This record gives sequence, C-alpha cells and structure tokens, in this order.
Amino acid sequence: MGELLLDPSIRVWVFLPIVIITFFVGILRHYVSILISSTKKVELQQVEDSQTLIRSRFLRENGKYIPKQSFLMRRHYFNNEETGYFKVASKRPSQAPNPITDPSMMTDMLKGNITNVLPMILIGGWINWTFSGFVTTKVPFPLTLRFKPMLQRGIELMSLDASWVSSASWYFLNVFGLRSIYTLVLGENNAADQTRLMQDQMSGAAMAMPPDPKQAFKAEWEALQICEHHWALKNVENDLIGITAGHQEQSSVASQT
Amino acid sequence: MTTKSSEEWKAPLTKQEARSLLQKWREENTRCPEKVRDVWQAFDLRNSVGDEKWQILEQVCLAAMDLHDAVLIKDCLTQLDAKFPNSSRVRRLKVMAKLELRERYEDALKVYDDMIKKDESNSILYKRKIAILIAQRKIPEAIREMSEYLKKFMNDSEAWLELCDLYIQEQEYSKAAFCMEELILTNPHNHLYHQKYAEIQYTINTQESMELARSYYSQAVKLNPTNMRALYGLFLTASNLSQQAKYTSQKRRENAKIASWAMSHITKIYEDAEAGKHQLSALEAMMGSLQVNSVN
Repeated sequence: MGELLLDPSIRVWVFLPIVIITFFVGILRHYVSILISSTKKVELQQVEDSQTLIRSRFLRENGKYIPKQSFLMRRHYFNNEETGYFKVASKRPSQAPNPITDPSMMTDMLKGNITNVLPMILIGGWINWTFSGFVTTKVPFPLTLRFKPMLQRGIELMSLDASWVSSASWYFLNVFGLRSIYTLVLGENNAADQTRLMQDQMSGAAMAMPPDPKQAFKAEWEALQICEHHWALKNVENDLIGITAGHQEQSSVASQT
Repeated sequence: MTTKSSEEWKAPLTKQEARSLLQKWREENTRCPEKVRDVWQAFDLRNSVGDEKWQILEQVCLAAMDLHDAVLIKDCLTQLDAKFPNSSRVRRLKVMAKLELRERYEDALKVYDDMIKKDESNSILYKRKIAILIAQRKIPEAIREMSEYLKKFMNDSEAWLELCDLYIQEQEYSKAAFCMEELILTNPHNHLYHQKYAEIQYTINTQESMELARSYYSQAVKLNPTNMRALYGLFLTASNLSQQAKYTSQKRRENAKIASWAMSHITKIYEDAEAGKHQLSALEAMMGSLQVNSVN
C-alpha cells in the first residue's frame, strides 16, 4: 500500500483545533467546578466511626507490641457483648443517606453531572459531528489490527493501516492524555481531569465511608474477635544480648506465662 | 538567637529555599517563631508565592502571636480578613490574637463553643479549648476535655502524647501508660515511644511493671542501638531486678547478665565516641554509684 499524504489543512483545521478545544474545555471545567462546588460537611458520628475502625485495625496489626493485659482491655472495649463499641454501633438505627430525601446529595450529584458528564457528551458529540471522517495523524510505529476500533473510530476502512488515527479517536486520546498538561497548568488535584472521574466510578465507595457502616463494624468485630495476642517482646532481652535459645530461656518463658 | 547567627543561616537562602523552608516548618509543626519572622521579614514573599501566600500569612501570624508582635499580627490579620471575610479559620486566628493572647480565656472559650456548635467535626477548635485549659493550669479539667476529645478523634497521636504528659504531671502513671500503649499501637517502630513507655513503667515500680520496663527498654535499644537513655534505663531496671529478693537465683543471674551487657554497651559507645579518659572514669564511678543505689 502506497504512502498516504495528508492535506496540511487537516493539520490546521482538524488536528490542532481538537487539541486546543479539549485543552480549554478542561480548563473551563476546572474553574466551573470550583465555582459551583460546595464544601462537604463531615458528620461527627462519621468521623468517630471511621477513626474507631482505624484504631481497631491498628490494634489487630500492632497489638503484639503491647502487653497482653492492655490488648485484652482494648479488645473488650471494642468487642464485649453489652457495651462494646462495635456491638452498640451495629445496633444503631441505620442512617444510610437517602438521595431522594437529602436535597444536598441531589444537588451534589447534579453538579457532578453538569461538570463531568455533560461536557463529555456535548463536546464529544460536537467533535464527532464537526470533525468526523478525517484521518488526522499517524502513530510512528506499526500496530496490529486489534487497535483499529480504538484508533480509527468513525472510519471503517479495512485497507487502512492500523497506525493511522482518526479524528474522533484523536479527541479521546486527548481527553485522557492531557492529564499531565493540566497538572502543569493548574497544579495538583485539579478538576479538569476526566480520568479521575473514571477512577472514582470504578473504586467508588471504597474512597469514602461506606454508606452503611454496620457491615464494616461487623467485619471488624469478627476480625478482632479471632485476633490472638502473641507478645512480640517476650524474649526481647535475650534477643538483644544474643543468648541462643536454650534450656535457660525456655524455663524463663515458662515462668512468665 | 542572636541577630548575627540568624544572618548566618539566612544569608545563602534564595527566595525559593525560604519558601520551602517555611513549608517544611509548617508541615512538621516546628515551633520556631523567631526564625519564621526573620524569614518573612527578610524575603518579600508576598507577590511570588501565589495562593500559598495565605498559608504563609497564617503561619507568620501564629509566629507573631508567640512573639507578642502586635504590629505583625495586625498586619497579617487585616490581609487575611480582607481575603476571607467569613472563614472560621481566620476567625479562630482572630480569637487567638484578641482574646487568648490577652488572657481573656473565658470569652475565648465561649466563642469556641459557639464555633463548635456550627462545625462539630473541626478538631482544631476542640484542641484550642484544651490548650486554654492547660494555659490556665487547670490540669484535671484539661484531662477531662482531652478524653472527651479522644473519644471522638481516636487517632490523633499528638493528642494521646499530650494526654500522656498531662497524666504524668498528675502522677497518674498507669493512665499515662495507657496513652503510651495507644501510641505504640499507631507506630510500633518508634523507639522513643517504647522508651517513654518503659520510663513510665519504671516509675510505677512494682515487680511486674519493672519487668515490663525491662522489656520495653530492650525493645527501644533493639530499634535504635544508640539510644543512650534506653541503655541507661535497661541497666537500671535489670540491675534492680537482679537484686529482687523474690526471684530464684537463676532469674537474678539472668538480670545481672542483662545489666552487665547494657553497661558494656554504654562503655563501648563512649569509647567509640572517643571520650576522654576522665569521662570514662567518671562513667565508671557513676555506674558504681548507680549499682549501689539500686542495692539500697
């Protein structure tokens, strides 16, 4: 197949405009989201719950560094049948936030949609409509046929080499590839980045407090209940002064336990 | 600090370095108000740091409060107030400057209570209240507030450490030990936590706690073999336990062994540091007297 030559006007009127439009839409989105964002108020109960869970995790992981008595005392505080924190907490009436009754959640969702989904659909649709059907550029390495649907959206040509990129695909490459440029221009943690939105959708509730803490409490309760205490400092003196395990040590261990 | 030495460390700094220095102090909570003020006044950072300016202003304002520099406080506060008229963070600074600094503690407490009602999960406001109680030397009240605070914010290790010190002031050693345990749980690789825990146990001075102290001193030495304080502590506890009348002779021998190990280790560190001869002999004499003391 002979070498394709692209019209320079494609570079000026398709290739560059797509880059510039995507870039400025990202910048615009960043400022719009700053403009309409509302600071989330954290509930005190939520703070307490999440901190308790973290503390309990520390107890499970590092409990071996404190004396047995202290470990049991703390486990009792979390786990005992009547007044243990986890028992009481999992009997609390559920306060899973209901998006219908809580208007602030509704507006948050709406704002998220306005800044993230809407431009994606509108601009994407518009780009697709205006610049459709152009071959814009070529990646400088050969690719297999599998890449055709990814790089040549909107162009259904069997004979075209897979390393050519169509205008619609060039737009998507820009959307996902401009992240580091945004970091450069807007600083860290900017809202212009589409990829972060995708990540949020995937990892979802793992980031925030799970909507119903009961499940987390129950899991933590179980994990703590089966956690045994092996004091890590039992033989630390002997480790320190380098006595090899022998008859003496065993007798001292027996008298300590 | 004399002005001469401050010139010395300031002279080679560029603006960028001054900015990162301030940032470092801010992140590590280093309390060095004179230096902060010096840096602020030596470099005109106002127009070259962008949005970080406001954080630096807050930092400088706090430093100025430490130094009772009324002019600087006013300067910072007017700028911050103009930029963030409704911010609770600026309001807190204003309360600190106008009420706490003038020891109008009751008024300050009232304002903080008011602010907490509006923003329940703001931990700094609770901490300010506790700080006021400590400033008034109302230690039991401060302890009560602190425990209430720690029920809500359990993972605040600074607060646990502060509570531990408060308990030590009140000589409630077993409660102080509880706080130290909490800190060890959050970071079991910090030898200073182990050392402090051992010191508290050593102070409680029952046979059991003495054994605990020995274990935790050993752990501290294990984590940091050059921790002199822990080595001395290990020596003291072990030699104390080696005199314990209730023990079998074998256990006493073991403890004596640990004590002699600690002593030889201390001597070795001194030798490695090329201490003078008279220092070594002083060390030996002191070791002797320590042992005599622990016999009594």
